[in-house]
Amino acid sequence: MTDPKPRLILTLGDPAGIGSELVARLLADPEARDMAHVLILGDEAELQDGMAIAGAEFPYRRVTDPAALGQTPDLPLFMAKGRAAPKGGWARAEATAAGGQHCLDTLGYGLDMVARGQADALVFAPLNKASLHAAGMTHSDELHWFADRLGHNGTVSEINVMEGLWTSRVTSHVALRDVADLITGDKIIEAARLIHAALREAGHENPRIGVCGLNPHNGDNGNFGTEEIEIIGPAVERARAMGLPVEGPYPSDTIFLKAVAKELDAIVTLYHDQGQIAIKLLGFWQGVTVQGGLPVPITTPAHGTAFDIRGQGKAHVGPMRAAWTIASTMGRRARSFKSS
Amino acid sequence: MTAPIALSCGEPAGIGPEIAAAAWRTLKGSLPFFWIGDPRHLPAGTPLQIIEAPAQALDVSRTALPVLALPFAAPATPGQPDPANAQGVIDAIARGVALVQSGAASAICTAPIHKKALKDGADFAYPGHTEYLAALAGVERVVMMLACDALRVVPVTIHIPLAEVPQALTAALLTDTILITHAALRRDFGLAAPRLAVAGLNPHAGEGGAMGHEEIEMIIPVLDALRAEGMDIAGPMSADTMFHAGARARYDAAICMYHDQALIPIKTLDFAGGVNVTLGLPFIRTSPDHGTAFDIAGRGIADPSSLIAALKMADVMARARAAQ
Repeated sequence: MTDPKPRLILTLGDPAGIGSELVARLLADPEARDMAHVLILGDEAELQDGMAIAGAEFPYRRVTDPAALGQTPDLPLFMAKGRAAPKGGWARAEATAAGGQHCLDTLGYGLDMVARGQADALVFAPLNKASLHAAGMTHSDELHWFADRLGHNGTVSEINVMEGLWTSRVTSHVALRDVADLITGDKIIEAARLIHAALREAGHENPRIGVCGLNPHNGDNGNFGTEEIEIIGPAVERARAMGLPVEGPYPSDTIFLKAVAKELDAIVTLYHDQGQIAIKLLGFWQGVTVQGGLPVPITTPAHGTAFDIRGQGKAHVGPMRAAWTIASTMGRRARSFKSS
Repeated sequence: MTAPIALSCGEPAGIGPEIAAAAWRTLKGSLPFFWIGDPRHLPAGTPLQIIEAPAQALDVSRTALPVLALPFAAPATPGQPDPANAQGVIDAIARGVALVQSGAASAICTAPIHKKALKDGADFAYPGHTEYLAALAGVERVVMMLACDALRVVPVTIHIPLAEVPQALTAALLTDTILITHAALRRDFGLAAPRLAVAGLNPHAGEGGAMGHEEIEMIIPVLDALRAEGMDIAGPMSADTMFHAGARARYDAAICMYHDQALIPIKTLDFAGGVNVTLGLPFIRTSPDHGTAFDIAGRGIADPSSLIAALKMADVMARARAAQ
């Protein structure tokens, strides 16, 4: 009889931000602790600081051997990892190379553990891209850094999860003027395939996936753009022929109402704000990012380091908690595959 | 007492006549309006009274739908627009505009038209209602605002392909849109010092040029120039974080760069209650934010709530204008 609980790696995020407060608040909840075994990687003073700020504590055991995570620990485990704090302590509420290096060290170590099968999923508190870039990360974001470190060549894409609604986007952090040229049928199908796989990993057996149109009113039969007729519609048909439960394209100003009405479980959007506007409007505090397309489950709250409220103890734990819950589900499934 | 509101019938084969009757049932005694159209097109059994002049609507609307009769060429078959009626649809709009321009009506509210039917039946040369109204009023540039209780949005570019948005966005267009919106918020919404929030075009408003340059090259200079004239304008803001309740409390209207940037938040907030307001005309014009709905016309199931919201919006705007 194997222990069914997933083994998660948790990192504290950028030390200049609200990560350690969130971790303290998350694991102070016995229900969250009960979902998974966890090994926290980082700077112990930082964890203590987070507890003090949040006014929330949890019992944990300090370890030096990461293998302890595989021995059915009765408490959360903590292992010191990553570049040490600079003299005088971590910079607060600002992006620094030292903070970024600390994040890359802990994430890299944790990622390697998941890749080796010593853990089942990785959850990380918010990072700061400017810190990561200052520390020498050359990738556009952490997702591509993860893929590179894993030697993974397949398509990767951020998936957003908000109160049960999953979304991915075909283009992301690019200028709006470049969006139309970047939309291809293959990319739409790949995005649908990727979100379908992630939904299955998270326990959705029969998800329904909607695809957005690009133009106002879906192009109004070609009057305001032809991408729906020439690219998006045919891609949806091809995806369906491949067995993917995809429908659309739907006009992007009302597709989210279909999700609210539970007619869709997931939406493939074509550009950043097409999804982000509705997502943040509907559930500003509940967003989770799943690092889609990677061979291992990785989740994080969708918000940033929130420098403006750092240290005030008022950071909302909802997204962190949702990231933890989704990683636990994905990790449990990953673990059951490994042991079967 | 402000004058009553003129409601043009719109396409008689669509849901316009039935939602007009339904709106009267909800608003009778509280919001006087009159319907311009052919009484034959109203649902059988609608309590209606033919009036000769708009002023009669103030009293009549307590007990019946006041109808300013405009005979059309043919009866209407739900779901099937008749080219023979195209001229009547156009005339109803023109009549409403004439009445609001003379002051006999305080505002015009327009029920949906079907552009193809008007083109086929009467060589209607305008892409839509709004352009026709602008031509009747003799103005060149008007602005579309969508409004619900929680949010007002103004798209700077509207019905064009997304790929063409960056070229269509010019400093002159953005400036005019903001000026027209600002003036309308003062005159028709009773806001002495309107607060505007302007969205960026690109993700994260371009993030300092990392994802697009329109903010740096065009939007920021336009906003700076308008601020120098004393306008209260925030932005360019990241479009994804400017529509939640806390952010909305800080502005009176959001200026958006393209159709769906404006329509996604307002439809997500209030699918049924959105009202289309045309700013920049010399008179007040509102309309429901839906089409003719041929698929359900004549079945008595059409939802009148957007039309009711449009009439209420016209009333609020007319009162604000009258109070000045």
